[in-house]
Amino acid sequence: MKFHARFPGSGPSGIALRVEAPPPSYEIETEGRTLAGNARRLGDGVWSLVTLDGRQAEARIERTPDGGMRVRIGAVTFEFDLLDELTARALLATGGRAVRKAKHVAAAMPGRVLRVLVAAGDAVSAGQPLIVLEAMKMENEVKSPQDGIVSGVAVAAGQPVNAGEVLVRFAADPA
Amino acid sequence: MNPPRLLIANRGEIAVRIIRACRDLGISPVAVYSEADRGSLHVRLADHAVPIGPPPARESYLVPEKLLAAARKTGASLVHPGFGFLSENAAFAQAVIDAGLTWVGPRPFSIGAMGSKTESRQRMLAAGVPVVPGMTTPAASAAEVAAFGRENGFPLLLKAAAGGGGKGMRVVRSESEVAEAFARTQSEAKSYFADDRVYAELFVEHPRHIEVQVLGDATGKVLAIGERECSLQRRHQKVLEECPSAAVSPELRAKMENVAVAAARAVEYVSAGTVEFLLARDGRFFFLEMNTRIQVEHPVTECVYGVDLVAEMIRIALGKPMSLAEKPAARGHAIECRVYAEDPGRAFAPSPGRITAVRWPGGPGIRVDAGLTAGDVVPLDYDPMVAKITAWGTSRDEARRRMLRALAETRVQGIQTSVPFFVSLLNDPRVVSNDVSTQFLDTYKFVPPAPEEGQMDLALAAAVLESLEQTKSVRPQTKGAPPAAWRIARPTHGAR
Repeated sequence: MKFHARFPGSGPSGIALRVEAPPPSYEIETEGRTLAGNARRLGDGVWSLVTLDGRQAEARIERTPDGGMRVRIGAVTFEFDLLDELTARALLATGGRAVRKAKHVAAAMPGRVLRVLVAAGDAVSAGQPLIVLEAMKMENEVKSPQDGIVSGVAVAAGQPVNAGEVLVRFAADPA
Repeated sequence: MNPPRLLIANRGEIAVRIIRACRDLGISPVAVYSEADRGSLHVRLADHAVPIGPPPARESYLVPEKLLAAARKTGASLVHPGFGFLSENAAFAQAVIDAGLTWVGPRPFSIGAMGSKTESRQRMLAAGVPVVPGMTTPAASAAEVAAFGRENGFPLLLKAAAGGGGKGMRVVRSESEVAEAFARTQSEAKSYFADDRVYAELFVEHPRHIEVQVLGDATGKVLAIGERECSLQRRHQKVLEECPSAAVSPELRAKMENVAVAAARAVEYVSAGTVEFLLARDGRFFFLEMNTRIQVEHPVTECVYGVDLVAEMIRIALGKPMSLAEKPAARGHAIECRVYAEDPGRAFAPSPGRITAVRWPGGPGIRVDAGLTAGDVVPLDYDPMVAKITAWGTSRDEARRRMLRALAETRVQGIQTSVPFFVSLLNDPRVVSNDVSTQFLDTYKFVPPAPEEGQMDLALAAAVLESLEQTKSVRPQTKGAPPAAWRIARPTHGAR
């Protein structure tokens, strides 16, 4: 089984990982190296790895809201997309262009809309606050991930929202 | 004879803390819970538990009638308010007393006198307690605030008169900012405290926040039990506290303790309380406010002075003298980290959700006050603190190293926590040398710890293994022996 781990800047196909042997004795080929050792799953997404040269690490794995992998070892967090071969090839077929622009911005957490700072037709720039959400007694600005034109605002002030709910839509890129 | 029952008008970590004090004293704890907290740890550790309504606090934990009804229903004779919620509400304290119950806290008069910032300032001035220059009555208009700024200089701090816990405060750096800041502080004060009165005071630049623990009993005795260093604050919210403060000399400590006792005496203080000071760089200190309740960070004082402040509160409420003849001798140093459900890698965005697995630290010198365990949900409706970890050592550096050890042992799965932030913070040279102020975290940039060599490979391997595991569990199960290794390793989409 083959996987591709994509990091920011690692290129569209990322790092190829080929599983040669599954747990408990794992062996993974990548970029001419072999990651190998003994693996034990201790619970949902919790693994203890002991490498062949005796190094031990407890790794905790979660999915990020956008479907990526978040691996924590000690206080260090790694985040990357782990794609199976099929998905990786499909992405490569698009020509490996820069990341396509988002069609919308969604709430990363449940909360309540305090203020709406933009309206349909507004030109916004990356990093510009769009919405102020209140969650857990704190105000959080939802910022634009990109330069673009707002095509619609899907929420109103005072409205409760769930995680993943669309807040602001962007007009399709003219390009 | 049945043991007396004590109702805890609170939730989470502090409710658990009070339950523990009850157990130590042979008192039977009574929990209350909102619908969001039905399965919470504090409910499960109690002998009785009473539902008090829907998740929003204003419909449950903030409704005096529901709490009093719960006490009646369970035969509780004592009420401990914890911190937050109704803990500094004089009317609630009075209602508890009027219902014939025992209030575990200071007299309603003391709460009221210290609860209004303008009134407490006047009392402190009268008692000879130094205060920061500020308005003695709430500002009627933005223009009044601007005039105060012109007279005393900027920056100013705008505060809600009924505020506390860092809510409803705003720094105003120049006269041009006054109008908007005044309007926003007023509106926040109204929504948080249902009281839109606001006042301004001089903002002392780069001060430390030092607070003194006091304890008074019905005999009129008031003791000061050392100070806590609480300068590390984010958005005016403390995140890490220490006892003692490395910035306070024995002479300064004695001075601050004397002033704290005078402040407490000025409001006839009974029970545990905290007198907060701003310590300026030149060694002058100013009274900020008195918290007429148990403080979140009380464990650092308990570790260093060997007292149980919550048990003392209950003892004192029952009319007994405090168990301390005098201030106990200090021993060593303690550090507390407030672990929040937030993601330091994403600008500390709240991270509510279900905790799927948890491992708290242990070993020499470590104390954990957690309100949650595996399977519990961090609700959206309340403060996002999940636990307090306290490390004690014979010296500040030993406490610091033990805290780093404890943080490395801590695992909270399912939500993000501020643990990585504390690891970075406790390795920062300025924190190591205690060169901090209350503004330190305003400019502190959290840099996630850098990976060690080879850690990336381990992360990749772990992610691949977990991905295989998940693929396996969604694939239709075949009867008989699990697939052999070569079958898993074979491409599953080979029809190409």
